[in-house]
Amino acid sequence: MQLEKNDKIIVEHVYKSFNVYMDKANTIKEKLLFFKRNKKQKREILKDINLNIKEGEAVALIGVNGSGKSTLLKLMTKIIYPNKGKITTKGKLTSLLELGAGFHPDFSGRENIYFNASIFGLTKKEIDERLNKIIEFSELGSFIDNPVRTYSSGMYMRLAFSVAINVNAEILLIDEILSVGDQHFQEKCFKKMEELKNEGKTMVLVTHSMESVKQLCTRAIWLSDGQVRLDGPTDEVVSEYIKATT
Amino acid sequence: MEAIKNIYKYRELLKTNVKKEIRGKYKNSILGVLWSFLNPLLQIIVYAVVFQVILKNPKEHYVVFLCAGLIPWNFFSTSLSRGAFTFIENGNIIKKVYFPREIMPISIVTSEAINFMISTIIILGFAIGEGLGVSYYIVFYPIILIIQYIFTLGVTFIVSSISVYIRDLQHLIGVALQLLFYATPIVFASEAIPNSLRWIININPMAYIINAYRDIFYNQTMPDFTMLTLILIFSITLCIIGYMIFHKLQKGFAEEL
Repeated sequence: MQLEKNDKIIVEHVYKSFNVYMDKANTIKEKLLFFKRNKKQKREILKDINLNIKEGEAVALIGVNGSGKSTLLKLMTKIIYPNKGKITTKGKLTSLLELGAGFHPDFSGRENIYFNASIFGLTKKEIDERLNKIIEFSELGSFIDNPVRTYSSGMYMRLAFSVAINVNAEILLIDEILSVGDQHFQEKCFKKMEELKNEGKTMVLVTHSMESVKQLCTRAIWLSDGQVRLDGPTDEVVSEYIKATT
Repeated sequence: MEAIKNIYKYRELLKTNVKKEIRGKYKNSILGVLWSFLNPLLQIIVYAVVFQVILKNPKEHYVVFLCAGLIPWNFFSTSLSRGAFTFIENGNIIKKVYFPREIMPISIVTSEAINFMISTIIILGFAIGEGLGVSYYIVFYPIILIIQYIFTLGVTFIVSSISVYIRDLQHLIGVALQLLFYATPIVFASEAIPNSLRWIININPMAYIINAYRDIFYNQTMPDFTMLTLILIFSITLCIIGYMIFHKLQKGFAEEL
């Protein structure tokens, strides 16, 4: 399929399965001695997923635990690769799957901004331009020059979120992170995401909070047993989903 | 081509990573980065005492001879032994974010290359201190360094990606490096090896690289450029094959780690 002008993410016939080891043998010795341990089970997580997400869309992936939402998100970021099928993305992509990846505890918050932002593919100049905005958003104040290991977990997450949200990506993949920091900071994050949405950024959101889905997303995709069960306007899909699960 | 473009795009990550490798390694020690200088120096003193004082090696300016072999060797062996761990150590980042995975082995080899350049001062220091002096053949130093860099990178690509799947490799690599250490003319000259075992040196690319360094620092003659060209071609081929192996294997990293 050809990437059309305003297509941002295209998922074509994607299959993904994981090998689930009962007891994983990592070394040659173990592999030879305990070949029984290598018993693996193939678990199909995604079966023939086809999606087309256009520019400026805010899409929610919903579904019960284990329905393959996070796996699909991970495939989109290219952390893992599909067994079959193809995923194409266009434009800079940021995943807010796990925050604070690449933080080095011994370095200061400021230095870690550089480490973390460079993982997202920013150059030094681009980071310099955003540095003040990131520090301001994190509300860390003078703590920014202290080593990250002295931070509380809330401070850590705030810094990580501030970096991720400020990298200016065209596509944002977000996995259940609206639980960052205190009430005040959560609201701030939510507002920032609405702001980004209004700027025309493409968003894919995995969450169990139907409230935020309704507020933020225009389209919802309901995954069930690794397949798309329903795809359409948020209100419709969410009400069907609630009906089916309760 | 795609790979080079991708690395260029993530050059900042490469840069910060190299910085992190160099500074982070000694972050909480009192002497800090000075250790990357002190470590090889102390190592040389140990070897010099063993081979010159105890075993009475008659070679003239033995310390310079030793330095010119041992310090480039350290570049190779540290890259490899650290490279074998790099993906496993960074497992939690690899499982969480996307970035070109080749950045990790590249930054290890690059940071070790920088360490090597710093420790080259030791070679020069001993050469001057021993009254041997420094010859103008030193202009070939960057060329040999580049060849060694490409060779080391190729091997590191292979070792680092395979060790994700077969963890034994991490333990094996230490012994293998020790064996290779004695299969390379580092503490002794190539000529000291009996003819029946000479083939080991002849098929060992590191032997040619070490001998080239020794030519410019110790023998102060022209290095063997025909041989070096062959090693360069071999290294480039190895690096490409290594990259292809790595590229094939890296798709499964997040699931294996």
